[in-house]
Amino acid sequence: MDATRRLARAAAPFLRRVGTIVVALWGASVLVFTVLNVLPGSPAQVILGTQATPQAVRQLTAQLGLNKSLLRQYVDWVGGLLHGSLGVSYISHLGIGAQIAQALSVTGPLVLFALVIGLAIGLPLGFIGAVRHGRFSGSLIGGLSQIGMAVPTVVAGLLLVIILTVKFHVFPTSGFPGWSDPLQALRSLVLPAFSLGLVEGAILSRYVRASILEQLRSDYLRTARSKGLRVGQALRRHGIRNAAIPLVTVVGLELASLIVGAIVVENVFALPGLGLLLLDSVNNRDLLTVQDIAMLVATAVLVINLVVDVSYHLLDPRLKGQS
Amino acid sequence: MAFAIATLGSVVGGSQPSGAASSGGTLVIGSAVAPPSLDPTSNASAAIDEVFDYNVYQHLVELDPKGAVIPVLATKYTMSPDGLKYTFTLRSGVSFSNGDPMTAADVVYSLNRAVNPKSGYPYQSLVADVSSVTSPDPSTVVVTLTHPDNQFLYNLAAYSNGIVLDPSAVATIATNPVGTGPYMYQSQISNYDVVLVANPKYWGPKPGMSSVTFRYFSSATTMDSALQSGQIQVIDNLDNSQDVSQFTHNSSFKVIHGPTEGKIDLTLNNAAGPLKKLKVRQAVTYAIDKQAILRTAGAGYGTVIGSDQVPGDPWYTPSVNNAYRYNPKKAKELLAQAGYRHGFSMTLTLPPYGYATTAGPLIQAELAAVGIKVAIKNIAWALWISKVFTDHNYQMTIIDQVEARDISEYGDCSYYFNYAGCKQVGAMVSAATAATTTRAEIAKFRAIVRKISADAANGWLYNPDQLTVAKKSIVGLPGSGLTESFNLSYVSVGGSLSQKVKAEGFAS
Repeated sequence: MDATRRLARAAAPFLRRVGTIVVALWGASVLVFTVLNVLPGSPAQVILGTQATPQAVRQLTAQLGLNKSLLRQYVDWVGGLLHGSLGVSYISHLGIGAQIAQALSVTGPLVLFALVIGLAIGLPLGFIGAVRHGRFSGSLIGGLSQIGMAVPTVVAGLLLVIILTVKFHVFPTSGFPGWSDPLQALRSLVLPAFSLGLVEGAILSRYVRASILEQLRSDYLRTARSKGLRVGQALRRHGIRNAAIPLVTVVGLELASLIVGAIVVENVFALPGLGLLLLDSVNNRDLLTVQDIAMLVATAVLVINLVVDVSYHLLDPRLKGQS
Repeated sequence: MAFAIATLGSVVGGSQPSGAASSGGTLVIGSAVAPPSLDPTSNASAAIDEVFDYNVYQHLVELDPKGAVIPVLATKYTMSPDGLKYTFTLRSGVSFSNGDPMTAADVVYSLNRAVNPKSGYPYQSLVADVSSVTSPDPSTVVVTLTHPDNQFLYNLAAYSNGIVLDPSAVATIATNPVGTGPYMYQSQISNYDVVLVANPKYWGPKPGMSSVTFRYFSSATTMDSALQSGQIQVIDNLDNSQDVSQFTHNSSFKVIHGPTEGKIDLTLNNAAGPLKKLKVRQAVTYAIDKQAILRTAGAGYGTVIGSDQVPGDPWYTPSVNNAYRYNPKKAKELLAQAGYRHGFSMTLTLPPYGYATTAGPLIQAELAAVGIKVAIKNIAWALWISKVFTDHNYQMTIIDQVEARDISEYGDCSYYFNYAGCKQVGAMVSAATAATTTRAEIAKFRAIVRKISADAANGWLYNPDQLTVAKKSIVGLPGSGLTESFNLSYVSVGGSLSQKVKAEGFAS
């Protein structure tokens, strides 16, 4: 009896978070549906082009079910989602679930790859920048990261394409051969992931630097150093764990912004990912596909936030038992 | 069109085309717009026709790259003297890529599928005058019209209405297209590529490539780089004409350019404020230096036009192209006469296409020089369709009217030009299409060309060329953009073309 109560108490904050997510998703679904459906642009007219008669457009609108009331369309859509069905695109006549799965097989690895690159650049640079604060190498890193942040992803991508592919043929300029040949697939993700990861790495290094500097200036670290520990030792034993808490938040946010950045990068490198699917669906007024992708991204962001929250509790024992 | 059948009731024969030498291998073609679906019979997107029309699906008659009607799945066709009955003799030994033989019943089924008022074909209205499609014997199909229509054959060749389908494959038309053409559909990744492979059951000469992949690039720079680095071998049509300079000076590439059916117009809403007045519309056209716009927006590849016409039209009237020669002084005079001595303000709504966004600011500056203050508004394509095309909620726009021989739009009073002369032109169009002699047809259409030009119904700018760039070794690409299909029937690497194929307009 006592054990169940303890379990319930431990699970309560988690359940509350999940509850928040459900409410947030419902809100997102209403918002996404409303915004997309008040946008002008009849899908039937876009499908039939400029030569179709108004009767033909009306007929197709009815056929697509777009003449039903908005509430009915919303209920149909959300009902489908709750049953795990993303629906069928009325533009391509393909299952939206399959299309999104195909796109995720590119965007998922791309974003993870970019995150790894971002971390591999941002963590050590930020660390060195903080430890060497006030010295030339520290300032150099600070300056470089400023430049890195200022470069838009699209410019970084185009530069990499021109230098590494057109001039030197090191990597393919664009496209994605599919995962049947994993080595080729990874090769074609290297440049896109770098152009995404470079910028994220630069941003991350600024946060790492600031967070570690803050710890370096804190009382407890001064105490640790006065015991005779060197800077590195003091940071390793006491500082990093404390510095990690704000960084986990930033990495979570960066992951969400990488998903957005992927839209740009997939365009530059002609990768058949989620970003390209979203862009083309918007252009073709494939509203159902756009709605589904928007909900997917919303879910991903909320789940990332949940993971970030949970990891706070792991990093900071003081937060245990609180919510 | 009556041009193809020069003498009434005559027989135009078709022989088996002799194509390029086979080289096999894969050809990758870069293109800007991915097909939103695989079904050309339910979606007007030209990107679908580019891949599937003529390559996967064939018609009884098709257009060659010079724009002439040629027999394909028919070996010959005749028109009755009253212009009401077309008799097609079907090619024998044709089968679909799934092995089903093509029968007269299939042709009747396909044409009826298009003609049905509820068919949902995007160009259904063009075959609304078909009263019956019958097959008196297994090698003949007869189409009867309610009234003579000298554009019937041309429309059958140019638009998806003419596609011959396998009735047993129609259920899966959106996911697995089946046709009689030289290539057949293999696979696609949405918005990324479409893969075609040679059709082993093809009735004609063996296709020159074992597979052809269309790859899609939303960034023109990326596409140019892909061609430079050898990932793709062809760009079907450069989105930014100015990009051509990086290929014209490189001996590894060739640039193939030929006319399209497009008319890039400064479209004027004839019902919007000052544009209601003829003198104002004329002033607008006088104020624009079309040659300069062609040089900048089209890199000089194209023809300046002065009405809804292109050089390939049978009724092409070059004289009207000079009707409003660039003359800002005259434009100012006309504005003053119309009561706008101090000009006025207008909004120019631009769709997201290179020609429009390049020409827009030039036109803005040229109109400013005569006192018309223009504000530019850039909008997405779907929004353009909705606001400009459907709701007529615009003053001026720049658009490539891509459909072939679409002058009849000026006779449609519900069309978004809001042209005041629509009723009169509508009657003129009916008379012109019903003409049963070529001479009368051309004369009547010329009268329309002149009338809308005199009324300055729109500011016609230029007929753009299609700019295809390819590796030097590739032969048999279409030499123009007069068809929506990017016809690959004769394409090969290092092959040679017969005289007949060259004469039809394929580039060697």
